[in-house]
Amino acid sequence: MLEVRNVVKEFPSGDGVIRPVNGVTFSLPQGTFAAILGRSGSGKSTLLSILGALDTATSGDVVMDGTNISQLPPGRLTEYRRRDIGFVFQQYNLIPNLSAMENVMLPMEFAGVGKAERMARAAALLNEVELTEELHQRPANRLSGGQQQRVSIARALANRPRLVLADEPTGNLDEETGELIIELLRNLAQQENTTILVVTHDQALAAKTDRRLRLARGTLTEE
Amino acid sequence: MNILARSMGNAFRNKVRSGAVILILAVAIGLALSMLVAHQAVGAKVAELKSQIGTQLTVNPAGSRGFEGGGEPLTNSDLDTVRSVEHVSAAEGSLSLRLSTSDAASAEDSGSDDSASDDSAAQEGSGGGDSGAAQSDTAQSDPAQSGTAQSEPAQAGSRGPGSMATAGSTSLRSAVDAGTLGARNSGTSDGTSGSTAAQAPPAMPLTATGISTAAAADGSELTLTDGTAITDYSANSTEVLLGASLAEENGLAAGSTFEALGRTFTVAGVFDAGTVFDNNALYLPLAAAQELSGQTGELSSILVTVDSMENVDSTQTALTDALGSDRADVSAGTAGLSEAINSLAGVQSISLVGFIAALAAAALIVLLIMIMVVRERRREIGVLKAIGASNRTIGLQFVLEAVVLVAIGAVLGSVIAVGASGPIASALVDSSTGSSSSIEAGSMGPGAMGGEALQAPPGTDGQPSDGQSDGPSDGQSTDGQSTDGQAQGTAPDGAPAGGPGSGPFGSGGPFGSFDQTAELIGTVTTSVGPGTIALGAGGVLFIAAFGALVPALMTARVRPIEVLRGE
Repeated sequence: MLEVRNVVKEFPSGDGVIRPVNGVTFSLPQGTFAAILGRSGSGKSTLLSILGALDTATSGDVVMDGTNISQLPPGRLTEYRRRDIGFVFQQYNLIPNLSAMENVMLPMEFAGVGKAERMARAAALLNEVELTEELHQRPANRLSGGQQQRVSIARALANRPRLVLADEPTGNLDEETGELIIELLRNLAQQENTTILVVTHDQALAAKTDRRLRLARGTLTEE
Repeated sequence: MNILARSMGNAFRNKVRSGAVILILAVAIGLALSMLVAHQAVGAKVAELKSQIGTQLTVNPAGSRGFEGGGEPLTNSDLDTVRSVEHVSAAEGSLSLRLSTSDAASAEDSGSDDSASDDSAAQEGSGGGDSGAAQSDTAQSDPAQSGTAQSEPAQAGSRGPGSMATAGSTSLRSAVDAGTLGARNSGTSDGTSGSTAAQAPPAMPLTATGISTAAAADGSELTLTDGTAITDYSANSTEVLLGASLAEENGLAAGSTFEALGRTFTVAGVFDAGTVFDNNALYLPLAAAQELSGQTGELSSILVTVDSMENVDSTQTALTDALGSDRADVSAGTAGLSEAINSLAGVQSISLVGFIAALAAAALIVLLIMIMVVRERRREIGVLKAIGASNRTIGLQFVLEAVVLVAIGAVLGSVIAVGASGPIASALVDSSTGSSSSIEAGSMGPGAMGGEALQAPPGTDGQPSDGQSDGPSDGQSTDGQSTDGQAQGTAPDGAPAGGPGSGPFGSGGPFGSFDQTAELIGTVTTSVGPGTIALGAGGVLFIAAFGALVPALMTARVRPIEVLRGE
């Protein structure tokens, strides 16, 4: 269960401050496939960064299964990201000279998983994201956009995280591929019992999720 | 894939850039290793030369070496002063005399008879020399079998055309022919035409050294091949030691007699100093040499033994202070050795600076390249942190990438160093000895050779210092050998005649000092020992550590949120 309690984030701006996140409160049961909607610049990525422990809130709490992430020291935050969070980026952000398999194995290597187990799980995940086997050893910079995003999703699921945060995962893909990616995420949320939160400005994409939350002027409302 | 494999892969993401970096590193590291090897090799050579100096100092009259230069001779009183200086464990004086030979007598005879025809004889070419030689052969018609030299001794202090002032004469013949060099340096050749046609046969004097112990004037043990050492060192002694070449030339052996300085001497023993030059000499008791040459109480040089190597420098200073710098020159070993050591010390400094500079350049190259790489991959670093990599893991990755580049560069650099270290060391040594030699040679002037440090015995026709007029100096010995068979002598001032790697450099006088230094240095052998390898490896690690550490620390400052904000 993910609980967000009155989270506020301020940035200095001129003589004052701006609050892209201003008292956001919501909760997501484990295994939920949800979307946060909002226009560009509405603060969606800022909220995502706070939920993913990449940034700290000015005030408020983020609680993951009873653990208050907001109060963890930096070293524990790294551990939290390593084991409990998966990221899917708009620009994939794979390591270009590593193969698809090696990219998926990276988070497991950081978590100290043994080589044999890493290889087995990576292969299984790549199959789950429907990347054909002959592409498993291909360097990431030689994969198509859709293929790279599949690898990115597989990497995000490598350590069986409780929460996957996807920031505009279909932003660089064509419509058809985008729909396939969204469908993939939905299925994985169920299969892996992972909460998947997608940040997007695409209404049609958001409609394919189970829950939709809209962020506007710093406040979150559920649709 | 583990972090090392990943780092190796990352190091070659940009193959062209990585190749260029490795090439530059190879050159820099190769140069550094070459300088290191040269430094070690030169250091070993310096240690070898210093071991030759050992604990000995040589005291010469100020401004004089052997038969060159001028000034006042040392005395027995100076010897007592030397012995009273702290840390002096032993001091022995010696007196070098130049004796005219029976060859000179024959040359004088032919010269006085044919003085009017000297010019024509010179124009005829080598006829004068031949006639002189023939006459000397005639004069010495019955050598060897009786063991007594029969030749008519030349007049003491006689000076035929082109010969040098002497302290006396001997019935012996020189074992060294004048030849072209002797004729040229004795001024009997026509300097303008380069002809060696002699007005009279050039007279090659012999060097007789008065000693007071069983060692040679330079302190080295004399290797006797016949007979025994001198046992009677009194002024009335008639015992001498002959060099092997001289004994052979005159058909003498232990027990034979000959005339010298107006006294009949008996050969006590025959020694072998290792070279023809050094064997063309004789040793006699110091007191006898002083008395017979009219130089009672005078010394050419004093050989000092210091109680330990650590006290050599301080004792050298103390001796100079005790004797007065205007009266005595105190040198460690020979001037040539000191000069050689100073030359090599300069090379050591240059090579050390070169080693450090090349290492620093390599480290800077790695640093700049890695900073550029970190900046290029800032987003990637952020992503790695976002997916769970710690600062230490990421820093280690970049350090390993730098280490990979440095390691490959070091391997190639080692190959370069294997081929280049020898030539670089030789070039450094050659340039060092070459620069010092040009200064030395330039200080020579006409008349620099044939200098008459000796005083002719009273009543002789010595004409001291007339040797200056014997012709322009031509001390450019090409092989370190004395161009005048006697000018450098058997180094009574302490040069180890025939010493290891030294050759017959003699008194360290003005001529041939370039060749002296180079010959003293001999061969500098480059080799790679455990110490060199350890130091080289340490240098390479320094390059990698310095070059990678700063960029690694930079990665720790990258915040993953910055990466996402750039999305």
